Amino acid sequence: MKNIQSSISNLKYLIIVLGLIVLAWLLPVLYELLSPRTDRMPFVVYSCLDSTFIKFETSNKQVRFIDFRGQEFTKAQADSLLPLFSFRQLVAEGRLPDSLYGVALTPKLIQQNAFHFKTSPKQLNKPAVGLYTMLESSSGRVDLQLPPDVFRLTDDGLEFIDCETNTVNRAKSLSFSRELTKHGFTFPVQLIWGNGTTRKDYDNGFLLTDANDRLYQLKMVKGTPWVREIIVDRQSSNPKWIQVFTLEPANRALIGFVVDDAYQLYAVRANGQLAHIGIDAYNPQEMQISIVGDLFHWTITEYTATDSRYYAVDARTFEQVACAIVPDPERPLNQRIERILLPVRLRFTSWRTQLIAPNINDD
Amino acid sequence: MLKAIFYKEWLKLRLFWCLAILVHIGLIAYLLLSLRSTLLASGIVETWATMIGRDVLMVNQLMYLPLITGVCIALCQWLPEMQIKRIRLTLHLPIDYTASIGAMLFCSIVCLCLLFAIDATVLAVVEQQWLPRELVWRTFLTCLPWYIGGLLGYSVTSWCVLEPQWRMRCVNFLIGAPLVALCFLTAQPACYIPMFPWLVLALLATVCLPFYSVYRFKLGKQ
Repeated sequence: MKNIQSSISNLKYLIIVLGLIVLAWLLPVLYELLSPRTDRMPFVVYSCLDSTFIKFETSNKQVRFIDFRGQEFTKAQADSLLPLFSFRQLVAEGRLPDSLYGVALTPKLIQQNAFHFKTSPKQLNKPAVGLYTMLESSSGRVDLQLPPDVFRLTDDGLEFIDCETNTVNRAKSLSFSRELTKHGFTFPVQLIWGNGTTRKDYDNGFLLTDANDRLYQLKMVKGTPWVREIIVDRQSSNPKWIQVFTLEPANRALIGFVVDDAYQLYAVRANGQLAHIGIDAYNPQEMQISIVGDLFHWTITEYTATDSRYYAVDARTFEQVACAIVPDPERPLNQRIERILLPVRLRFTSWRTQLIAPNINDD
Repeated sequence: MLKAIFYKEWLKLRLFWCLAILVHIGLIAYLLLSLRSTLLASGIVETWATMIGRDVLMVNQLMYLPLITGVCIALCQWLPEMQIKRIRLTLHLPIDYTASIGAMLFCSIVCLCLLFAIDATVLAVVEQQWLPRELVWRTFLTCLPWYIGGLLGYSVTSWCVLEPQWRMRCVNFLIGAPLVALCFLTAQPACYIPMFPWLVLALLATVCLPFYSVYRFKLGKQ
Protein backbone atom coordinates (compact mmCIF):
# COMPACT_ATOMS: atom_id res chain seq x y z
CA MET A 1 0.00 0.00 0.00
CA LYS A 2 2.85 2.34 0.84
CA ASN A 3 4.26 1.68 -2.62
CA ILE A 4 1.04 2.87 -4.25
CA GLN A 5 1.00 5.97 -2.03
CA SER A 6 4.56 6.87 -2.94
CA SER A 7 3.87 6.21 -6.66
CA ILE A 8 0.92 8.57 -6.48
CA SER A 9 2.94 11.24 -4.73
CA ASN A 10 5.51 10.86 -7.52
CA LEU A 11 2.86 11.77 -10.09
CA LYS A 12 3.90 15.39 -9.50
CA TYR A 13 6.98 14.64 -11.64
CA LEU A 14 4.69 13.41 -14.44
CA ILE A 15 2.78 16.71 -14.20
CA ILE A 16 6.08 18.62 -14.44
CA VAL A 17 7.11 16.60 -17.53
CA LEU A 18 3.73 17.17 -19.19
CA GLY A 19 3.98 20.87 -18.33
CA LEU A 20 7.42 21.11 -19.94
CA ILE A 21 6.16 19.36 -23.09
CA VAL A 22 3.23 21.79 -23.30
CA LEU A 23 5.59 24.76 -22.80
CA ALA A 24 8.01 23.49 -25.48
CA TRP A 25 5.05 23.35 -27.87
CA LEU A 26 3.06 26.47 -26.98
CA LEU A 27 5.79 29.04 -26.26
CA PRO A 28 7.16 28.96 -29.87
CA VAL A 29 3.55 29.20 -31.14
CA LEU A 30 2.94 32.27 -28.95
CA TYR A 31 6.28 33.77 -29.97
CA GLU A 32 5.37 33.34 -33.64
CA LEU A 33 2.01 34.97 -33.08
CA LEU A 34 3.73 37.99 -31.51
CA SER A 35 6.44 38.26 -34.20
CA PRO A 36 5.00 36.79 -37.40
CA ARG A 37 7.38 35.72 -40.16
CA THR A 38 7.14 37.90 -43.24
CA ASP A 39 9.57 36.14 -45.58
CA ARG A 40 7.87 35.69 -48.94
CA MET A 41 9.39 33.87 -51.90
CA PRO A 42 9.63 36.11 -54.99
CA PHE A 43 8.24 34.86 -58.29
CA VAL A 44 11.06 34.46 -60.84
CA VAL A 45 10.91 34.05 -64.64
CA TYR A 46 13.78 33.69 -67.12
CA SER A 47 13.92 36.39 -69.77
CA CYS A 48 15.12 34.93 -73.05
CA LEU A 49 15.68 38.43 -74.43
CA ASP A 50 17.91 39.63 -71.60
CA SER A 51 19.35 36.16 -70.74
CA THR A 52 18.71 36.73 -67.06
CA PHE A 53 16.18 35.94 -64.38
CA ILE A 54 13.68 38.65 -63.48
CA LYS A 55 12.06 38.48 -60.08
CA PHE A 56 8.72 39.94 -59.09
CA GLU A 57 9.20 41.29 -55.59
CA THR A 58 6.16 42.40 -53.66
CA SER A 59 6.69 44.95 -50.91
CA ASN A 60 4.07 47.34 -49.50
CA LYS A 61 1.57 46.03 -52.06
CA GLN A 62 3.86 47.28 -54.87
CA VAL A 63 5.43 44.84 -57.34
CA ARG A 64 9.05 45.58 -58.28
CA PHE A 65 10.74 43.92 -61.27
CA ILE A 66 14.43 43.36 -60.61
CA ASP A 67 16.93 41.17 -62.44
CA PHE A 68 19.63 39.18 -60.67
CA ARG A 69 22.21 41.85 -61.53
CA GLY A 70 20.21 44.32 -59.45
CA GLN A 71 18.78 46.33 -62.30
CA GLU A 72 15.20 47.47 -61.72
CA PHE A 73 12.62 47.72 -64.51
CA THR A 74 9.29 49.42 -64.92
CA LYS A 75 6.25 47.23 -65.50
CA ALA A 76 6.26 48.08 -69.21
CA GLN A 77 9.96 47.22 -69.51
CA ALA A 78 9.41 43.93 -67.69
CA ASP A 79 6.54 43.10 -70.07
CA SER A 80 8.86 43.71 -73.03
CA LEU A 81 11.60 41.56 -71.51
CA LEU A 82 9.15 38.73 -70.87
CA PRO A 83 7.10 38.72 -74.09
CA LEU A 84 5.92 35.12 -73.68
CA PHE A 85 4.93 35.62 -70.04
CA SER A 86 3.18 38.99 -70.59
CA PHE A 87 1.84 38.31 -74.07
CA ARG A 88 -1.74 39.29 -73.22
CA GLN A 89 -0.61 42.75 -72.11
CA LEU A 90 1.64 43.12 -75.16
CA VAL A 91 -1.18 42.04 -77.50
CA ALA A 92 -3.48 44.60 -75.86
CA GLU A 93 -0.86 47.29 -76.37
CA GLY A 94 0.01 46.08 -79.87
CA ARG A 95 3.60 45.43 -78.78
CA LEU A 96 3.86 41.63 -79.21
CA PRO A 97 6.86 40.89 -81.47
CA ASP A 98 5.97 39.27 -84.80
CA SER A 99 8.57 36.58 -84.32
CA LEU A 100 11.21 35.44 -81.88
CA TYR A 101 14.19 33.21 -82.70
CA GLY A 102 12.69 32.74 -86.17
CA VAL A 103 9.35 31.51 -84.83
CA ALA A 104 6.25 33.51 -85.78
CA LEU A 105 4.47 34.38 -82.54
CA THR A 106 0.73 34.10 -82.19
CA PRO A 107 -1.20 34.27 -78.92
CA LYS A 108 -2.52 30.74 -79.57
CA LEU A 109 0.98 29.32 -80.05
CA ILE A 110 2.25 31.05 -76.90
CA GLN A 111 -0.73 29.89 -74.86
CA GLN A 112 -0.44 26.30 -76.08
CA ASN A 113 3.20 26.09 -75.06
CA ALA A 114 2.77 27.66 -71.64
CA PHE A 115 2.39 25.46 -68.59
CA HIS A 116 2.93 25.67 -64.86
CA PHE A 117 3.82 22.71 -62.68
CA LYS A 118 4.20 23.13 -58.95
CA THR A 119 4.52 20.74 -56.06
CA SER A 120 5.93 20.63 -52.54
CA PRO A 121 6.92 17.97 -49.99
CA LYS A 122 3.75 18.78 -48.06
CA GLN A 123 1.59 17.98 -51.09
CA LEU A 124 3.38 14.67 -51.63
CA ASN A 125 3.68 13.50 -48.03
CA LYS A 126 0.12 12.75 -47.15
CA PRO A 127 -1.72 9.48 -46.60
CA ALA A 128 -2.85 8.17 -49.97
CA VAL A 129 -6.48 7.10 -50.39
CA GLY A 130 -5.40 4.05 -52.40
CA LEU A 131 -8.17 4.50 -54.97
CA TYR A 132 -7.66 5.93 -58.46
CA THR A 133 -9.91 7.08 -61.29
CA MET A 134 -9.08 5.79 -64.77
CA LEU A 135 -10.60 8.24 -67.24
CA GLU A 136 -11.45 7.30 -70.81
CA SER A 137 -8.62 8.90 -72.85
CA SER A 138 -10.24 8.53 -76.23
CA SER A 139 -13.98 8.90 -75.85
CA GLY A 140 -14.35 11.00 -78.98
CA ARG A 141 -15.96 13.74 -76.88
CA VAL A 142 -14.35 17.07 -76.07
CA ASP A 143 -15.19 16.88 -72.36
CA LEU A 144 -13.78 14.16 -70.18
CA GLN A 145 -16.31 12.06 -68.24
CA LEU A 146 -15.96 10.34 -64.89
CA PRO A 147 -15.87 6.56 -65.33
CA PRO A 148 -18.42 4.35 -63.53
CA ASP A 149 -15.63 2.73 -61.48
CA VAL A 150 -12.42 3.37 -59.54
CA PHE A 151 -9.50 1.02 -59.09
CA ARG A 152 -7.25 -0.08 -56.25
CA LEU A 153 -3.81 -1.68 -56.35
CA THR A 154 -3.39 -5.22 -55.11
CA ASP A 155 -0.29 -7.40 -54.84
CA ASP A 156 -1.03 -9.08 -58.15
CA GLY A 157 -2.90 -6.54 -60.23
CA LEU A 158 -5.43 -3.75 -60.43
CA GLU A 159 -8.93 -4.19 -59.02
CA PHE A 160 -11.76 -2.13 -60.50
CA ILE A 161 -14.70 -1.41 -58.18
CA ASP A 162 -18.03 -0.52 -59.68
CA CYS A 163 -19.35 2.59 -57.91
CA GLU A 164 -23.05 1.74 -58.25
CA THR A 165 -22.81 -1.77 -56.80
CA ASN A 166 -19.62 -1.35 -54.72
CA THR A 167 -18.41 -4.69 -56.07
CA VAL A 168 -15.27 -5.72 -57.95
CA ASN A 169 -15.51 -5.80 -61.75
CA ARG A 170 -13.47 -8.97 -62.27
CA ALA A 171 -13.46 -8.89 -66.07
CA LYS A 172 -12.08 -5.34 -66.27
CA SER A 173 -9.60 -5.95 -63.44
CA LEU A 174 -8.27 -9.03 -65.20
CA SER A 175 -8.09 -7.30 -68.56
CA PHE A 176 -5.99 -4.38 -67.23
CA SER A 177 -3.75 -6.57 -65.06
CA ARG A 178 -3.14 -9.01 -67.95
CA GLU A 179 -2.32 -6.21 -70.37
CA LEU A 180 0.28 -4.84 -67.97
CA THR A 181 1.77 -8.29 -67.39
CA LYS A 182 1.89 -8.84 -71.16
CA HIS A 183 4.15 -5.79 -71.41
CA GLY A 184 6.55 -7.21 -68.83
CA PHE A 185 5.09 -5.41 -65.81
CA THR A 186 5.84 -7.13 -62.49
CA PHE A 187 3.30 -6.50 -59.75
CA PRO A 188 2.93 -4.98 -57.19
CA VAL A 189 2.88 -1.37 -58.35
CA GLN A 190 5.53 0.70 -56.55
CA LEU A 191 4.70 4.27 -57.59
CA ILE A 192 1.66 5.62 -59.40
CA TRP A 193 0.47 9.06 -60.39
CA GLY A 194 -2.48 10.21 -62.43
CA ASN A 195 -4.68 13.28 -62.50
CA GLY A 196 -8.18 11.97 -61.86
CA THR A 197 -9.86 15.31 -62.52
CA THR A 198 -12.04 15.89 -65.56
CA ARG A 199 -11.08 19.57 -65.58
CA LYS A 200 -8.38 19.16 -68.21
CA ASP A 201 -8.24 19.07 -72.00
CA TYR A 202 -7.22 15.44 -72.40
CA ASP A 203 -5.95 12.51 -70.36
CA ASN A 204 -2.48 10.99 -70.22
CA GLY A 205 -3.55 8.23 -67.86
CA PHE A 206 -1.07 7.03 -65.25
CA LEU A 207 2.67 6.76 -64.96
CA LEU A 208 3.55 3.79 -62.77
CA THR A 209 6.57 1.74 -61.80
CA ASP A 210 6.69 -1.99 -61.20
CA ALA A 211 8.49 -4.20 -58.67
CA ASN A 212 11.64 -4.07 -60.86
CA ASP A 213 11.55 -0.26 -61.11
CA ARG A 214 10.51 -0.30 -64.74
CA LEU A 215 8.46 2.69 -65.81
CA TYR A 216 5.13 2.37 -67.66
CA GLN A 217 2.30 4.50 -68.93
CA LEU A 218 -1.20 3.09 -68.57
CA LYS A 219 -4.41 4.58 -69.87
CA MET A 220 -7.84 3.48 -71.01
CA VAL A 221 -8.58 3.82 -74.71
CA LYS A 222 -12.14 3.02 -75.77
CA GLY A 223 -12.69 0.97 -72.63
CA THR A 224 -9.61 -1.20 -73.12
CA PRO A 225 -6.18 -0.96 -71.46
CA TRP A 226 -3.34 0.78 -73.30
CA VAL A 227 0.14 0.17 -71.94
CA ARG A 228 3.55 1.46 -72.96
CA GLU A 229 6.90 0.90 -71.30
CA ILE A 230 8.99 4.04 -70.99
CA ILE A 231 12.44 2.90 -72.09
CA VAL A 232 15.41 4.29 -70.21
CA ASP A 233 18.03 5.04 -72.84
CA ARG A 234 21.10 4.83 -70.62
CA GLN A 235 24.19 2.66 -70.41
CA SER A 236 23.93 2.36 -66.66
CA SER A 237 21.60 -0.01 -64.85
CA ASN A 238 17.91 0.72 -64.56
CA PRO A 239 17.48 3.66 -62.17
CA LYS A 240 15.35 3.35 -59.08
CA TRP A 241 12.47 5.77 -59.34
CA ILE A 242 11.42 7.67 -56.24
CA GLN A 243 8.68 9.89 -57.65
CA VAL A 244 6.50 10.09 -60.76
CA PHE A 245 4.17 12.88 -61.88
CA THR A 246 1.71 12.81 -64.78
CA LEU A 247 0.95 16.01 -66.67
CA GLU A 248 -1.43 17.13 -69.39
CA PRO A 249 0.15 20.29 -70.88
CA ALA A 250 -1.79 22.03 -73.65
CA ASN A 251 0.85 21.34 -76.34
CA ARG A 252 0.68 17.59 -75.62
CA ALA A 253 4.47 17.34 -75.75
CA LEU A 254 4.88 15.74 -72.32
CA ILE A 255 3.42 12.87 -70.34
CA GLY A 256 5.04 13.76 -67.06
CA PHE A 257 8.14 13.95 -64.89
CA VAL A 258 10.04 11.25 -63.03
CA VAL A 259 12.75 11.48 -60.39
CA ASP A 260 15.38 8.80 -59.74
CA ASP A 261 17.17 7.97 -56.49
CA ALA A 262 20.11 10.18 -57.54
CA TYR A 263 17.57 13.03 -57.44
CA GLN A 264 17.79 13.58 -61.19
CA LEU A 265 14.68 14.96 -62.84
CA TYR A 266 13.51 13.57 -66.20
CA ALA A 267 10.76 14.60 -68.56
CA VAL A 268 8.73 11.86 -70.19
CA ARG A 269 8.06 13.01 -73.74
CA ALA A 270 4.79 12.24 -75.52
CA ASN A 271 6.60 9.70 -77.72
CA GLY A 272 7.56 7.75 -74.60
CA GLN A 273 11.21 8.85 -74.52
CA LEU A 274 12.88 9.94 -71.35
CA ALA A 275 14.92 13.17 -71.35
CA HIS A 276 17.15 14.34 -68.54
CA ILE A 277 16.39 17.89 -67.40
CA GLY A 278 19.56 19.91 -66.87
CA ILE A 279 19.22 20.86 -63.22
CA ASP A 280 21.54 19.77 -60.44
CA ALA A 281 19.23 17.81 -58.16
CA TYR A 282 15.62 17.67 -57.12
CA ASN A 283 14.65 15.90 -53.94
CA PRO A 284 10.85 15.79 -53.85
CA GLN A 285 10.86 15.03 -50.10
CA GLU A 286 12.86 18.13 -49.23
CA MET A 287 12.33 20.71 -51.99
CA GLN A 288 9.46 22.72 -53.28
CA ILE A 289 9.56 22.98 -57.10
CA SER A 290 7.88 25.21 -59.62
CA ILE A 291 8.28 24.90 -63.40
CA VAL A 292 7.03 27.76 -65.54
CA GLY A 293 7.28 26.67 -69.16
CA ASP A 294 7.00 28.72 -72.33
CA LEU A 295 7.73 28.22 -76.02
CA PHE A 296 11.51 28.49 -75.67
CA HIS A 297 12.51 28.02 -72.05
CA TRP A 298 11.41 26.58 -68.76
CA THR A 299 12.11 28.47 -65.55
CA ILE A 300 12.62 25.91 -62.80
CA THR A 301 12.62 27.18 -59.22
CA GLU A 302 13.57 24.99 -56.28
CA TYR A 303 13.18 26.10 -52.70
CA THR A 304 15.39 24.12 -50.35
CA ALA A 305 15.90 24.48 -46.60
CA THR A 306 18.95 26.71 -47.16
CA ASP A 307 18.64 28.39 -50.56
CA SER A 308 16.53 29.09 -53.64
CA ARG A 309 17.77 27.66 -56.94
CA TYR A 310 16.73 29.09 -60.27
CA TYR A 311 17.38 27.29 -63.55
CA ALA A 312 16.48 28.10 -67.12
CA VAL A 313 16.43 25.11 -69.45
CA ASP A 314 15.81 24.89 -73.17
CA ALA A 315 12.20 23.82 -73.75
CA ARG A 316 13.20 21.35 -76.48
CA THR A 317 16.50 19.84 -75.36
CA PHE A 318 16.08 20.46 -71.60
CA GLU A 319 19.73 21.56 -71.44
CA GLN A 320 20.60 24.15 -68.83
CA VAL A 321 20.77 27.68 -70.19
CA ALA A 322 21.21 29.64 -66.98
CA CYS A 323 21.44 28.96 -63.27
CA ALA A 324 21.41 31.09 -60.14
CA ILE A 325 21.62 29.85 -56.57
CA VAL A 326 20.53 32.41 -54.02
CA PRO A 327 21.30 31.53 -50.38
CA ASP A 328 18.49 32.32 -47.99
CA PRO A 329 19.01 35.65 -46.24
CA GLU A 330 20.31 35.54 -42.69
CA ARG A 331 17.55 34.76 -40.23
CA PRO A 332 15.85 37.92 -38.96
CA LEU A 333 16.62 39.07 -35.42
CA ASN A 334 13.32 37.82 -33.99
CA GLN A 335 14.03 34.27 -35.19
CA ARG A 336 17.57 34.35 -33.79
CA ILE A 337 16.20 35.54 -30.46
CA GLU A 338 13.60 32.76 -30.57
CA ARG A 339 16.35 30.15 -30.98
CA ILE A 340 18.22 31.50 -27.96
CA LEU A 341 15.17 31.96 -25.74
CA LEU A 342 13.54 28.69 -26.74
CA PRO A 343 16.26 26.11 -27.37
CA VAL A 344 13.71 23.26 -27.57
CA ARG A 345 10.87 23.95 -29.94
CA LEU A 346 8.29 21.19 -30.28
CA ARG A 347 5.97 21.17 -33.29
CA PHE A 348 3.33 18.73 -34.43
CA THR A 349 2.90 20.13 -37.93
CA SER A 350 5.64 20.48 -40.50
CA TRP A 351 6.34 22.12 -43.85
CA ARG A 352 7.44 18.67 -45.09
CA THR A 353 4.28 16.70 -44.48
CA GLN A 354 0.57 16.87 -43.78
CA LEU A 355 0.97 14.13 -41.19
CA ILE A 356 0.77 15.14 -37.54
CA ALA A 357 3.84 13.98 -35.63
CA PRO A 358 6.15 15.44 -32.99
CA ASN A 359 9.20 17.24 -34.41
CA ILE A 360 11.86 18.93 -32.33
CA ASN A 361 13.57 22.09 -33.66
CA ASP A 362 12.24 21.51 -37.19
CA ASP A 363 12.00 25.16 -38.30
CA MET B 1 -17.72 -3.03 -2.31
CA LEU B 2 -16.65 -2.39 -5.91
CA LYS B 3 -20.03 -3.70 -7.07
CA ALA B 4 -21.71 -1.12 -4.84
CA ILE B 5 -19.50 1.63 -6.30
CA PHE B 6 -20.42 0.58 -9.85
CA TYR B 7 -24.11 0.58 -8.86
CA LYS B 8 -23.77 4.04 -7.31
CA GLU B 9 -22.13 5.33 -10.52
CA TRP B 10 -24.91 3.78 -12.56
CA LEU B 11 -27.57 5.53 -10.43
CA LYS B 12 -25.68 8.82 -10.68
CA LEU B 13 -24.96 8.79 -14.40
CA ARG B 14 -27.65 6.62 -16.03
CA LEU B 15 -29.70 9.58 -17.26
CA PHE B 16 -26.65 11.23 -18.70
CA TRP B 17 -25.52 8.02 -20.41
CA CYS B 18 -28.96 7.57 -21.99
CA LEU B 19 -28.82 11.15 -23.24
CA ALA B 20 -25.27 10.66 -24.58
CA ILE B 21 -26.27 7.48 -26.45
CA LEU B 22 -29.25 9.29 -27.97
CA VAL B 23 -27.13 12.27 -29.07
CA HIS B 24 -24.39 10.05 -30.51
CA ILE B 25 -26.77 7.74 -32.38
CA GLY B 26 -28.69 10.81 -33.55
CA LEU B 27 -25.59 12.48 -34.96
CA ILE B 28 -24.33 9.26 -36.57
CA ALA B 29 -27.77 8.74 -38.14
CA TYR B 30 -27.70 12.34 -39.39
CA LEU B 31 -24.22 11.88 -40.91
CA LEU B 32 -25.26 8.65 -42.62
CA LEU B 33 -28.51 10.14 -43.91
CA SER B 34 -26.69 13.19 -45.28
CA LEU B 35 -24.12 10.92 -46.96
CA ARG B 36 -26.98 8.88 -48.47
CA SER B 37 -28.74 12.01 -49.69
CA THR B 38 -25.47 13.27 -51.25
CA LEU B 39 -24.99 9.91 -52.97
CA LEU B 40 -28.54 10.07 -54.33
CA ALA B 41 -28.53 13.76 -55.23
CA SER B 42 -25.02 14.14 -56.69
CA GLY B 43 -24.60 10.59 -57.96
CA ILE B 44 -22.47 7.80 -56.54
CA VAL B 45 -19.69 8.23 -59.13
CA GLU B 46 -19.39 11.97 -58.48
CA THR B 47 -19.49 11.53 -54.69
CA TRP B 48 -16.77 8.87 -54.77
CA ALA B 49 -14.69 11.07 -57.08
CA THR B 50 -15.04 14.01 -54.67
CA MET B 51 -14.16 11.87 -51.66
CA ILE B 52 -11.09 10.46 -53.44
CA GLY B 53 -9.91 13.54 -55.32
CA ARG B 54 -10.64 16.25 -52.77
CA ASP B 55 -10.09 14.32 -49.57
CA VAL B 56 -13.61 14.89 -48.26
CA LEU B 57 -15.15 12.37 -45.85
CA MET B 58 -18.35 14.11 -44.70
CA VAL B 59 -17.86 13.30 -41.00
CA ASN B 60 -16.48 16.64 -39.82
CA GLN B 61 -19.61 17.40 -37.74
CA LEU B 62 -18.60 14.52 -35.49
CA MET B 63 -15.27 16.16 -34.60
CA TYR B 64 -16.02 17.68 -31.18
CA LEU B 65 -18.87 15.42 -30.04
CA PRO B 66 -16.63 12.83 -28.27
CA LEU B 67 -14.83 15.67 -26.48
CA ILE B 68 -18.10 17.28 -25.35
CA THR B 69 -19.33 13.87 -24.14
CA GLY B 70 -16.11 13.14 -22.25
CA VAL B 71 -16.06 16.55 -20.55
CA CYS B 72 -19.78 16.38 -19.65
CA ILE B 73 -19.44 12.86 -18.19
CA ALA B 74 -16.52 14.01 -16.04
CA LEU B 75 -18.45 17.08 -14.83
CA CYS B 76 -21.58 15.03 -14.06
CA GLN B 77 -19.53 12.40 -12.26
CA TRP B 78 -17.22 14.56 -10.14
CA LEU B 79 -18.91 17.95 -9.63
CA PRO B 80 -21.57 16.52 -7.22
CA GLU B 81 -18.76 14.73 -5.35
CA MET B 82 -16.73 17.92 -4.96
CA GLN B 83 -19.53 20.46 -4.39
CA ILE B 84 -20.38 19.45 -0.84
CA LYS B 85 -17.24 17.35 -0.39
CA ARG B 86 -19.26 14.14 -0.71
CA ILE B 87 -16.09 12.53 -1.94
CA ARG B 88 -15.02 12.34 1.72
CA LEU B 89 -17.62 9.58 2.18
CA THR B 90 -16.09 7.62 -0.68
CA LEU B 91 -12.62 8.11 0.77
CA HIS B 92 -13.80 6.74 4.12
CA LEU B 93 -15.06 3.48 2.65
CA PRO B 94 -13.27 0.39 3.93
CA ILE B 95 -11.24 0.05 0.73
CA ASP B 96 -8.25 2.00 -0.44
CA TYR B 97 -9.12 5.26 -2.20
CA THR B 98 -7.08 4.21 -5.26
CA ALA B 99 -9.45 1.24 -5.67
CA SER B 100 -12.65 3.27 -5.20
CA ILE B 101 -11.58 6.23 -7.40
CA GLY B 102 -10.04 3.78 -9.88
CA ALA B 103 -13.35 1.89 -10.08
CA MET B 104 -15.23 5.14 -10.72
CA LEU B 105 -12.78 6.22 -13.43
CA PHE B 106 -12.76 2.72 -14.93
CA CYS B 107 -16.54 2.70 -15.09
CA SER B 108 -16.74 5.90 -17.09
CA ILE B 109 -13.77 5.14 -19.36
CA VAL B 110 -15.18 1.72 -20.27
CA CYS B 111 -18.62 3.25 -20.93
CA LEU B 112 -17.06 6.01 -23.07
CA CYS B 113 -15.06 3.40 -25.04
CA LEU B 114 -18.26 1.37 -25.55
CA LEU B 115 -20.14 4.45 -26.72
CA PHE B 116 -17.35 5.39 -29.15
CA ALA B 117 -17.13 1.78 -30.35
CA ILE B 118 -20.88 1.80 -31.06
CA ASP B 119 -20.43 5.06 -33.03
CA ALA B 120 -17.55 3.73 -35.09
CA THR B 121 -19.18 0.35 -35.70
CA VAL B 122 -22.51 1.79 -36.86
CA LEU B 123 -20.66 4.28 -39.08
CA ALA B 124 -18.43 1.57 -40.60
CA VAL B 125 -21.15 -1.08 -41.05
CA VAL B 126 -23.53 1.31 -42.82
CA GLU B 127 -20.83 3.13 -44.82
CA GLN B 128 -19.42 -0.10 -46.22
CA GLN B 129 -22.73 -0.68 -48.03
CA TRP B 130 -22.07 2.45 -50.10
CA LEU B 131 -18.32 3.06 -50.00
CA PRO B 132 -15.20 0.99 -50.75
CA ARG B 133 -13.24 -0.32 -47.77
CA GLU B 134 -10.45 2.25 -48.29
CA LEU B 135 -12.84 5.15 -47.65
CA VAL B 136 -14.45 3.38 -44.67
CA TRP B 137 -11.02 2.73 -43.11
CA ARG B 138 -9.98 6.32 -43.85
CA THR B 139 -13.11 7.56 -42.08
CA PHE B 140 -12.21 5.46 -39.04
CA LEU B 141 -8.61 6.75 -39.00
CA THR B 142 -9.92 10.32 -39.26
CA CYS B 143 -12.38 9.87 -36.36
CA LEU B 144 -9.98 7.94 -34.10
CA PRO B 145 -8.05 11.02 -32.79
CA TRP B 146 -11.39 12.69 -32.00
CA TYR B 147 -12.39 9.67 -29.89
CA ILE B 148 -9.01 9.69 -28.14
CA GLY B 149 -9.65 13.42 -27.61
CA GLY B 150 -12.94 12.47 -25.90
CA LEU B 151 -11.13 10.13 -23.49
CA LEU B 152 -8.42 12.74 -22.88
CA GLY B 153 -11.15 15.34 -22.28
CA TYR B 154 -12.69 13.04 -19.67
CA SER B 155 -9.46 12.34 -17.79
CA VAL B 156 -8.23 15.98 -17.90
CA THR B 157 -11.62 17.27 -16.69
CA SER B 158 -11.65 14.67 -13.90
CA TRP B 159 -8.12 15.73 -12.92
CA CYS B 160 -9.15 19.40 -12.78
CA VAL B 161 -12.46 18.88 -10.98
CA LEU B 162 -11.02 16.56 -8.33
CA GLU B 163 -8.19 19.01 -7.56
CA PRO B 164 -9.03 20.65 -4.18
CA GLN B 165 -7.16 23.95 -4.77
CA TRP B 166 -8.30 26.55 -7.34
CA ARG B 167 -4.71 27.65 -8.05
CA MET B 168 -3.65 24.09 -8.94
CA ARG B 169 -6.90 23.56 -10.81
CA CYS B 170 -5.89 26.41 -13.14
CA VAL B 171 -2.41 24.92 -13.58
CA ASN B 172 -3.94 21.52 -14.33
CA PHE B 173 -6.24 23.12 -16.90
CA LEU B 174 -3.34 24.98 -18.56
CA ILE B 175 -1.43 21.70 -18.92
CA GLY B 176 -4.42 19.48 -19.74
CA ALA B 177 -6.23 21.65 -22.30
CA PRO B 178 -3.30 21.73 -24.78
CA LEU B 179 -2.95 17.95 -24.44
CA VAL B 180 -6.60 17.60 -25.46
CA ALA B 181 -6.10 20.15 -28.26
CA LEU B 182 -3.41 17.85 -29.69
CA CYS B 183 -6.21 15.62 -30.99
CA PHE B 184 -7.80 18.43 -32.99
CA LEU B 185 -4.88 20.01 -34.88
CA THR B 186 -6.28 19.12 -38.30
CA ALA B 187 -9.40 17.65 -39.85
CA GLN B 188 -7.41 16.35 -42.84
CA PRO B 189 -8.25 12.67 -43.34
CA ALA B 190 -5.97 10.04 -41.79
CA CYS B 191 -3.20 12.53 -40.94
CA TYR B 192 -2.84 11.34 -37.32
CA ILE B 193 -1.38 7.89 -38.08
CA PRO B 194 2.17 8.63 -36.76
CA MET B 195 0.67 10.44 -33.76
CA PHE B 196 -1.45 7.56 -32.38
CA PRO B 197 1.23 6.07 -30.07
CA TRP B 198 1.90 9.54 -28.61
CA LEU B 199 -1.81 10.20 -28.06
CA VAL B 200 -2.19 6.83 -26.32
CA LEU B 201 0.81 7.72 -24.11
CA ALA B 202 -0.77 11.09 -23.29
CA LEU B 203 -4.02 9.29 -22.46
CA LEU B 204 -2.29 6.79 -20.16
CA ALA B 205 -0.47 9.65 -18.43
CA THR B 206 -3.58 11.78 -17.88
CA VAL B 207 -5.68 8.83 -16.66
CA CYS B 208 -3.29 8.57 -13.67
CA LEU B 209 -3.57 12.25 -12.77
CA PRO B 210 -6.99 12.25 -11.02
CA PHE B 211 -5.39 9.97 -8.38
CA TYR B 212 -2.90 12.74 -7.62
CA SER B 213 -5.73 15.24 -7.17
CA VAL B 214 -7.48 12.87 -4.72
CA TYR B 215 -4.14 12.26 -2.96
CA ARG B 216 -3.84 16.02 -2.45
CA PHE B 217 -7.45 16.14 -1.21
CA LYS B 218 -6.63 13.44 1.32
CA LEU B 219 -3.59 15.45 2.43
CA GLY B 220 -6.05 18.21 3.33
CA LYS B 221 -5.08 20.75 0.63
CA GLN B 222 -7.79 23.38 0.44
